[in-house]
Amino acid sequence: MRVMVKPLECTGCSLCELACGYHWDEAFSIISSSIMLYRADEKKDYMGVIVKTEEDLFLGKPEGAEAVKLGELQQSAGAGGGGASAKPVLIREACDMCESAGLEPQCVAICPQNALYLE
Amino acid sequence: MDTMYYGDVLVVDLDAGKTEQVDFDELDEAGPGLPAGIALYNKYSDSDPLVLGSGLFTGTPVPGACLGFMIGKSPVTGELAVSPLSQFAGAEMKLSGFSAVVIKGAASKPVYLWLHDGVADIKDASSLRGLDTWQTTDTVRHDMGESLIQVISIGPAGEAATNLASYSINYWGSGDSAALGAVMGAKNLKAVALRGLGMLDAEEPADFYEQALELLGNATASRGFSGVCASLDADDIDEWLRPMIHRYRSCFACPSACATFVKYNEPASVMEPEGVEEPGMLVADAPAALWLKSGGWDAEPACRALEAMARAGVDLLRGARELSANPLDDPSAISAAVRELKGSEHAGWPSGEPLEYGLFGPWVPPLGSQDEWLAANRAGYVLGICPTLIMTGGIDTAALFQLCGSAAGLEMDSSSVDGMF
Repeated sequence: MRVMVKPLECTGCSLCELACGYHWDEAFSIISSSIMLYRADEKKDYMGVIVKTEEDLFLGKPEGAEAVKLGELQQSAGAGGGGASAKPVLIREACDMCESAGLEPQCVAICPQNALYLE
Repeated sequence: MDTMYYGDVLVVDLDAGKTEQVDFDELDEAGPGLPAGIALYNKYSDSDPLVLGSGLFTGTPVPGACLGFMIGKSPVTGELAVSPLSQFAGAEMKLSGFSAVVIKGAASKPVYLWLHDGVADIKDASSLRGLDTWQTTDTVRHDMGESLIQVISIGPAGEAATNLASYSINYWGSGDSAALGAVMGAKNLKAVALRGLGMLDAEEPADFYEQALELLGNATASRGFSGVCASLDADDIDEWLRPMIHRYRSCFACPSACATFVKYNEPASVMEPEGVEEPGMLVADAPAALWLKSGGWDAEPACRALEAMARAGVDLLRGARELSANPLDDPSAISAAVRELKGSEHAGWPSGEPLEYGLFGPWVPPLGSQDEWLAANRAGYVLGICPTLIMTGGIDTAALFQLCGSAAGLEMDSSSVDGMF
């Protein structure tokens, strides 16, 4: 079971990042989550969602989703996490499906556009 | 209050080219959000300040918690006015390391302000002079090596300090119909660049998070402008834009993705990152599009006109109203018409509602009575919640105010908010 992305359903609200960040820090930020909105190509409206797991990165790209190894993000989706000042993807926590909090995956629960699901 | 805000107040003295940080006493004395911003404005009113700030919940998972603000003396009305920092600008402002920013005086040469991690730099903007807002956003992001910086900038209209000038949030214009972009121009302030890497604490985080999720669960998740247009009994903008619609976009933390990205320089169906660099425009506010549609414009040239106005740093709403009577098709003629805009006295919605806009301006559509509209604006700018979502998004305002307790130990309701103004 893992968090999957329907990228074209995503409208880029960042609520998934907030929920995940709260899971890890019990505070609200957009820089430390395991799930990351890719919004670096704003002028092209190119936007997707990245989920870091222990094994790989799931890239919910608009043109199609794929899983890549952790070191392949630069080639696959541009700057990691969408910006140089964001916490680098490789040192972020991997998604634990919110098991450590005893909750259902909060990013899936909070997404208002049903762009995230479990499979 | 030591929760829900992150950092002190930054006071930028453009006359002296210096910054200092001071305690945010106004937060407790006047109330969070806009009331604290107004108190700061009054404190520094001798230097014709601009004040940037955010609401109590801005930057949190409360539905619609995207809203920040800029306030200053409007060249249009001659009175104090507030303009919205929407999209991601309000949240990044909240997380920049400064709870509010006061910009006083005027620089002797063009500058821009760079705020991040509690650090404020006044940077030389001589090379940005004359650039439009798209070029300015691109240049600032390139120079900083960071594509997620929020750039609140002015274009040629703001540099000339015309009262049709409006600041733009990144590329897409803004709801600034008060010409605070002209105030930026008069200050030689080309842009304010923000990056929000901070973190917000709540008084009772578990309760706050749970209550916010409950509000979200009851909020209306929607896309496009159809709902707003229907509530206004106006033409459906979505149908007009349909062949060009690429995707819908939300402001930060908003379940209602009303902003609509349209492509007219390549097919709307193109999803790959390759392709033209500038495929189209984010139509982030409906009223300007409504004005052009009501004047008989076709959708594509209308969107090109919105782009031209956003680039020039012209108020989309008043500009669209002035352009509406003479529909154009040719892109060069559209650009020329935008350069010739003089400014309209009236900046309301084409639905013709007889609202008195006052402090808040026409950004929020007239979706209810004057009292309902005023209450939504006041609550929105205190709490940092989009007022349009408050009026249309199924938000339980009593539950919204209850969140103030778990957020910051505050007891608030609509009456106490009214008392802050």
